[in-house]
This record gives sequence, C-alpha cells and structure tokens, in this order.
Amino acid sequence: MFGEERTRTLLGPADPARHSTIAPPRLSAHDLIVRAEAVAEPAAHHRHARPTRRLVLTAGALTAAVGAAAIVQTFGPSTPDTSGIAGPPGADPGVVLVPVAYGAGTRDAGSELRGLAGRLVDAEYDHRTGRYMYHHTKTWGDPVMTSADGRHHVAFADETKVWQAADGTGKQITTQLEPQYPDQESREYWQRNLKPKAPATPAPDDMPLPAEDLAPLPSGRAQLADLLGVRYGAGAVSKKVSTVYGRYVVPRQTRAEILRVLAEVPGFRWRGQVTDRAGRKGVAITYDDREHNAQSLLIFDPNTGELLAHERLTLSPLRISAYQVILGTAWTDRLD
Amino acid sequence: MGPPGKRDEDWFTRVYAADYPHVVRYGQRRLADLDAATELAQEVFVVAWRRRREVPDRSLPWLYGVARRLLANEWRARRAAPDVLPMTDAGLLREPGSSGADATVGVADLHAALATLADLDQEILRLVGWEELTVSEAAQVLGCTRTTAAVRLHRARRRLTEAMSYRAVPPAQQPVLASPRKVM
Repeated sequence: MFGEERTRTLLGPADPARHSTIAPPRLSAHDLIVRAEAVAEPAAHHRHARPTRRLVLTAGALTAAVGAAAIVQTFGPSTPDTSGIAGPPGADPGVVLVPVAYGAGTRDAGSELRGLAGRLVDAEYDHRTGRYMYHHTKTWGDPVMTSADGRHHVAFADETKVWQAADGTGKQITTQLEPQYPDQESREYWQRNLKPKAPATPAPDDMPLPAEDLAPLPSGRAQLADLLGVRYGAGAVSKKVSTVYGRYVVPRQTRAEILRVLAEVPGFRWRGQVTDRAGRKGVAITYDDREHNAQSLLIFDPNTGELLAHERLTLSPLRISAYQVILGTAWTDRLD
Repeated sequence: MGPPGKRDEDWFTRVYAADYPHVVRYGQRRLADLDAATELAQEVFVVAWRRRREVPDRSLPWLYGVARRLLANEWRARRAAPDVLPMTDAGLLREPGSSGADATVGVADLHAALATLADLDQEILRLVGWEELTVSEAAQVLGCTRTTAAVRLHRARRRLTEAMSYRAVPPAQQPVLASPRKVM
C-alpha cells in the first residue's frame, strides 16, 4: 500500500545504519529520569519533597543519580541592615549548576503577566526614601572561561553590593565566590586543569563609584518599552529587565507597567510557580530563542512583582550559561 | 495512549530498552557522527520521560518525531560552525566510488540523488525506506495527515527516481553552471 515496500527496496541498500550494531546506552533509564527531572518537574507528587528555600547546587544531575554528593544551600535575601550573606562555608568548590525547575505545562504569558500587574502589593522599600539605591546580587557566568576545545566551561560566582546615589556616586563591594560549572564534564575537566587558589576567602573588592549621569527610570509604558528594547525581541528584553532591576529601585507602579510591557512581547511563556536559587517562591516566564539555542528565564515575586532572578540557558544541551539573583533592594542613607 | 498510571519507571525502562537502538539509528542515518546520534537519542528519551503521559503505546513514531524536532533545533544552532554534519552533506564530501560497496551497487549515487531532494521529501523516504514506518506512522512523525504523507511519499519517490536517472547521464551532457574559475 502506498508503495511502502517499493520505497524500502529502493532505499534499503543505501541505509547507513543497515549493518550497524548499537552499543548499550551509556546512561540507564533511571539516569535519564533523574536528568529529566533536574530541569523539569512534571509530576505533582515530587513537589512536596522540595525544600521551601534552597539553592540547589548539585555535583551534577547525573552523578546525583548514582549517589554523588549533592549540596543544598540557602542564601537568605538581605538588606543593608542584614548585611551578612556569608559565602558558602565549606562549600564544595566544584558545584554543578542545575537549571531552575518548572512544570511541564506552558501557555502564553500575556494574560498571566497582566493579571499579576493588576494585583501587585507594595514592596518593603516602596514607602522608604534614601540617598542611595542599594542592590545586593549574586551573579554567575559573566564571563565564562572555556577550554581550548570549547567543551568545558567554568565561572566564578560573584556577590556584589552596590550603593549608588542619583548622581552615580557610591560604593561597590564585589566578593568572588566559588567556581561553578554548567555540567559534570566541565567540573571534572576544570578540577584537573584549574590552578588551585589560596584556600582563604578572597578579599572583597571595595571600590568607590565615580559620578555618572544615571538617567531616571521612566514610568510610562511607552518609554519603558523603549528602554527595555522591545523592538529587539524577548531575549533582549529579558536581559534589559534584569539590568534595570539590578540598577534601580523600581516603584510599584513601574513594576506593574514593566509586567504589562512584557505581556505584549511575543514569545514569553508562563511557567508558573518556581523556586529561585535563593530559595524564594516566585513565578517564572521563559523565552526560547531557538535561533541562538538559548532560553531566557525571569522570576518575579508573586506579590510585589519585583524581579528575583534572571537566568540564561542553552537549550541543547540544556545547561545554564548565566544567572543573576537579586537578593536585596532598598533605599538607604548609609554606605554599609 | 495508555492510562497515565502506567507511565512509571518500569514502563520507561521497557520503552528505553526496546526503542533506544532504533532512535540511535535514526540519528545515525541523519548525522555523520555516531556520538552525536547517541547524544540525540538520550535527549529524545529525556523528553519522553518529561512528556510520558503523551507517549502513545506504539511509541517509536512519537520518539522519531521528537528526534526530528531536536535535530532541527540542533542543526539550526550549529549552522555557524557545524561539527556535526547532516548525513546528506557528509555524503557529498565523500568521493563517489571510494568505497568498494558503494561503487558496485550505486549507493553513492542514491545518496547523492537523495541529497538533491527537499528536506520533507528526503525525510519521508527515510522514514518509510529506512525506519520502515508505515505511511500513517510517517504522517505522525511529520505532523501531517495520512493522505498528505501518502502523496508526499509518491512524489518523493518519483523525484528520487528522476534524480537518479539524471545522475546516470554522462557528465558531459549535463548542463554546467557558469562559475568563475581561478586561472592557473
């Protein structure tokens, strides 16, 4: 029927896999399940087992499957008054980053973002004032060091605290934390090839910020759309939203407008509730940039609409390429 | 599609054991690199676990459909600096007749003729000719109706036959594209 047999007779001799013997798979079915669930969480019965606050840094999704050590750490959000995020005491200097997990269900993000924008509540800083905008962030992936063959990657996580006044002056403290890896193979490679550093925690890099023209953050939707680079598409917008939240203390009305701007950008998918790397509950949207094999993920506070985190992943193989977690935002008069 | 309750680890282990070699071969037929084919197969089964409630009892066409989409994404991502060549391109890089087997049965010609066809024509020929799917199953992989797949298969086979006949004509009689040539 339909010439199926004729087609097989015609093409059969040219089948490149005609005589091939396929070796048993390197990964077991269980390994693949662990790998699948490290990046998505389709089964509801797994949810109750999740820690409520966590930073999941495992020694690789695959090695976790065979019982390798997994490290679960929590970084609490902080403000200028609770300045101490300590570096991870005794952390394994070879952690592998697992992408933030979200459910398998997905839909266009527009209506959800508009709904969220309509029910925002005040953030802690909304009725405060101060000379300085304060931001406390943890970032990874800028830059990433890659081996000569392009296959193995490593970057050091940075913790940064910035106090910046309207004229741009202020102070920035950056502390280099531990190296982190996007996959187990990179970890193994760089642990062999990265020269060991002194065991002591590196001294924070403390520098004054020079004056610069820090343009005020617009509040109108059209100006925000322009600032966020809507014309360049959802990938560029994701990055810009991250930059804006890492630089400004964004008032509630502007947070709502940013969500409405995002609602109109084609391509964002709603991912529902997630837990960010600081262990905070948030709601996430993603944008898959198939042309560049990349995914952008934004996590918002489900009540205040503040941006909690921005992450960028490669889609195939699925692995993280950069993240920023915004741990604290405030107005303050003190540089400490 | 089976009931969701059956989509547990035991089910997945059985499907993986039964279908993994077929999915690797699917990749092997379309990629120049066996390692890339095994990597593709693993990605396919990661997706299969995540979407296990959608996987029909006859899982292989569904798995091929996932592989096809992953491959398309991967290929687009690597166009700038491809270290994995689609088999059609890899085949063109080889000297026809360099393999004894190819020279005797005209396999190189068949590969070369296949490479001249549009992607969809190539794919339905491979799905039916190499993966040995029925037209209905190939339609599932390609996301079209059975009737459409049947028409595509018919046309693709005709075009393949024409392309092979064309290649059988001595080179001197084939039209030559005018192209600048370096003066030695």
